[in-house]
Amino acid sequence: MSDTRETHAAPASATPTLEARGLGKQVASGDRQLTILDHLDLCVMPGESVAILGSSGAGKSTLLALLAGLDTPSHGELELFGTALPALDEDGRAALRAGRVGFVFQNFQLLPTLTALENVMLPLELTPGRGLESRARDWLGRVGLGERLHHLPKQLSGGEQQRVAVARAFVTQPELVFADEPTGNLDRDTGSAIIESLFALNREAGTTLVLVTHDPHLARRCQRCLRLDGGRLVALERDEVLA
Amino acid sequence: MSAAGSLLGLSLKGLRRDLRAGDVRALFVALVLAVATTTMIGFFLDRLDRGLTRQAGQLMGGDIKLEQSDPFADDLRTTLRGAGLTLSDQVDTVSMVSRGDAFQLASLKVVDAAYPLYGKLRVDLGEGIVERAAGPAPGSVWIAPRLAQLLGVAIGEQVQVGQRELTVSGLIDREPDQSAGFASLSPRLMMRLADLDATGLVRPGSRIEYELLAKGPPAAVAAVGDLLTRLRQQGVEIEDVRDDRPQLGSALTRAQKYLSLSGLAAVLLAGVAVAMATRRYVDRHLDTAALLRCFGASQRQLAQLFAWQLTWLALAASVVGALLGLAGQAVLLALLARFLPLTLPAPGMLPLLLGVLTALAVLVGFAGPTLLRLQRVSALKVLRRELDPLPASAWLVVAVASLVFGALLWLYSGDLGLAAALLVGGLLALVVLWGLGWLLLALVLRLAANLGTRGGDLSRALRLGASQLARRRQASLGQLLAFAVTFAAMAIITLVRGDLLSAWQTQLPADTPNYFAINIQPGEREGFSAILDQVADTRSALYPMVRGRLTAIDGRPAREAVPEAHRDDNALKRELNLTWRAALPESNRLVAGRWFDAGTPVAAGSVPISVERGLAERLGVGLGDSLTFTIGSDSVTGEVTSLRDLDWDSFRPNFFVIFPPGVLERYGHSYITAFHLDAAAHGDVLGRLVAAYPGVSLLNVDAILARVRELLAQVTRAVELVLGFVLLAGISVLYAALTASQSLRAHESGLLRVFGAGQRLLSRVQGVEFALLGFTSGLMAALLAEGAALGVYAGWLDLAPRLHLWLWLVLPFGGALIIGVIGHLLSRGVRRQAPVQSLGLLGEG
Repeated sequence: MSDTRETHAAPASATPTLEARGLGKQVASGDRQLTILDHLDLCVMPGESVAILGSSGAGKSTLLALLAGLDTPSHGELELFGTALPALDEDGRAALRAGRVGFVFQNFQLLPTLTALENVMLPLELTPGRGLESRARDWLGRVGLGERLHHLPKQLSGGEQQRVAVARAFVTQPELVFADEPTGNLDRDTGSAIIESLFALNREAGTTLVLVTHDPHLARRCQRCLRLDGGRLVALERDEVLA
Repeated sequence: MSAAGSLLGLSLKGLRRDLRAGDVRALFVALVLAVATTTMIGFFLDRLDRGLTRQAGQLMGGDIKLEQSDPFADDLRTTLRGAGLTLSDQVDTVSMVSRGDAFQLASLKVVDAAYPLYGKLRVDLGEGIVERAAGPAPGSVWIAPRLAQLLGVAIGEQVQVGQRELTVSGLIDREPDQSAGFASLSPRLMMRLADLDATGLVRPGSRIEYELLAKGPPAAVAAVGDLLTRLRQQGVEIEDVRDDRPQLGSALTRAQKYLSLSGLAAVLLAGVAVAMATRRYVDRHLDTAALLRCFGASQRQLAQLFAWQLTWLALAASVVGALLGLAGQAVLLALLARFLPLTLPAPGMLPLLLGVLTALAVLVGFAGPTLLRLQRVSALKVLRRELDPLPASAWLVVAVASLVFGALLWLYSGDLGLAAALLVGGLLALVVLWGLGWLLLALVLRLAANLGTRGGDLSRALRLGASQLARRRQASLGQLLAFAVTFAAMAIITLVRGDLLSAWQTQLPADTPNYFAINIQPGEREGFSAILDQVADTRSALYPMVRGRLTAIDGRPAREAVPEAHRDDNALKRELNLTWRAALPESNRLVAGRWFDAGTPVAAGSVPISVERGLAERLGVGLGDSLTFTIGSDSVTGEVTSLRDLDWDSFRPNFFVIFPPGVLERYGHSYITAFHLDAAAHGDVLGRLVAAYPGVSLLNVDAILARVRELLAQVTRAVELVLGFVLLAGISVLYAALTASQSLRAHESGLLRVFGAGQRLLSRVQGVEFALLGFTSGLMAALLAEGAALGVYAGWLDLAPRLHLWLWLVLPFGGALIIGVIGHLLSRGVRRQAPVQSLGLLGEG
């Protein structure tokens, strides 16, 4: 394990998609403060795929929430697409995400009353535009669900539901996709299939990918692996990942 | 497409998808119900009101009645006709009518060709009674059978009226505009205006009343309002059907208020249903809102999205509700058609507008604060499911709902004071109920703990069910309050209906006096009384009657002393009937001061008197004030020592002013009494009375009595139908509320299943829980209903307050039964579900 802090891995000329400096998050636990993230640094350049590994309770989801602007840090600097996130209010952060950030969640987060097609169309409908449905159909086709457009989530298997979620993450052609334990609720084979399509779409679209997982095999497929440990990120060499 | 347009589209799509969800259907049904009930009652009341005004017009003879002692000028007629009114001239006088040696004083009604403006005459033209839309032909008269009897005249024979001989061509059975005025005491003779001059009865000094009757649409009547005010100031006596509805009295006012109250109860119930369904709606959409936040939606966009969605829903519900309301009022009217003698005017647009407004108001008031929770949702919830925004403060929800409901109360009752009082009372009641519910739940929890851990399935079910209910304190309190309000609303509407109907029944029992006898001389008093004692079913006392004019109040001329608005009061323009009496008369209630003490010394200068409250209010007179009456050439001054309420609908002699015995006896007086006589059984008695006491006038009020009874029957029907509707609304609330709590119960029973509970135990646990919920809310409802009924009776319907002990049994046990059965049936599916499903162990929960 190298003991270096996470540093830039791309040419300094490009604007990083995501950059955190001295990021920290404390939460109140009873009458004392619990430090979850402690002066954490991270830089993700456009087109990169980065895996963040960590054991259960290490703060992976907290970090993801901060990076995506879903939550606010206790201290430190954080920029998404070159814009400082802590300076924005909740609506400002939402506006920054709109159409530029995609998500894949561990528990899929599909709306039960919407069909597969409607679920994929949902992020598109927030912004004015045309041909929403054909775009949604197209992306569902790419994840192999072209025949199940009008099925409700409960009529789909877990793997199929996650594929719908993947299609939804990419349908706005975002610059950045966050994936939070995307295979956590799936068996190994199904998980692998999902991962295949996730990385394939990522490559095709040239999207930046930030993947949070506890699965080293999954993490190894990313260009860069980091481990969250004691509230800080530590870069891992490829052979360290499975260690 | 613009961003706003895309949001509208998204909201419509969302609603379409959402129609599959139970809560959206419940919202829709509740709103439809609110609109349907209010528009139904609104349409119905509006049309009934206009129809009854017309019927009252019939009793009065027209929509407006002008009366003076000189003929009306032609330019007045031109003006009234110009406003769109149809006119009819009538002259009333009293004159001697003779045939041969027989003479009889008759009350002459001289009519023109336009008479009657409303309704038809029933008359016997020699071949049985027929209906006629016009009076007798010129040259002929129609007379009352009693006059025919007194004069010994038959159809086809002639009578002498003044200087003219006229042929009797019919016997009058009923006049459409029969009124109970004293002018009509002598038997009737109806003749044509064309013959009047020839009789020579119109001479200077003769007592003749000229009447000008006008009929027309409400707009035309309203258009001449200013003119009428001016004429009134000039001394013309004017009755306007909108202000003076003779004989309909308090029954109709109460019925209208009852229907409005029912409408409001239905709105309140729908509001409760909306509030419950919205909670579930919001819970269900938190994930959607969080996801949309994640995808970049702003708070404003979220608020707009859901607001639009519900607005579409409200508009759709308004359309469906209004159509249902329209159909409902048609059914209501069809059911009442037998009782409604008139074709009613077409439904107006106002109730429709009110209906839509009501739907939107209910939505904003009962769903608004809860909905705000959706826009406060954090995007972080997509990662941390437990991160739900705090529910809207219960107080905020209640406060906003109360404000909106208060505004609706104001809108429907037109009485700001009443609306505010009901609102403040309601909020106080809610606070009390909240505390009471809290205590009851604590009690339930303690009782459950005392059941111990041993015992069979049943006691286990009792313990589990009771503690589940009591531990979920916040949720259970909410449900308790909702059910209590629902039960109470249903109970109040039922209660008021019962008391209203019994008040009407006791008001006009079968033996209500149907004859008034006046002008009984002191010497005839005992003999007359003796005959009545033998034949009358009921009779009032014989009241002495002295006529006196009120001339001064506290030493000042009466017209100057009274408040300006009441200077034209009839009490100042006419002689009042005064009486004396030692005891408080039947159906009078003392409301202030003391009744004459036995043996009260009567000083020469000042005398204690008792005054009717309404008159006292109009004259601005209170206890201790002195009133001076001129009787003949004398004057008598009395000091007001008590105020009384009268029952004007009682069909008994009523007096504005009562003196103690020993003051008025020295003035000329006669006696009045009222009695009930079955004319079919004692027809000959009437003849005997008339023959033995020729000076006594008998006034038959059967026709008026029949009209009032008929009216009460109509309104009773309407009241019962509307009650049915409110009960239906109440049951639908229960259904909506129980459906809304389904997912929570599914989760609980799933857990119990995991821990090894069988279906039988689950069924019992839920049964106990629902029954307890119903029982407790029933108890709270009984308290609320008693309190509210007290307020409504005293403050609005003017009924005597009373306790309803049966409520305290029926509501708790009925509540346990209803909630128990509906809840148990609804949870059947939940109990059968495998825990994986109910706990959401696989996939989306």
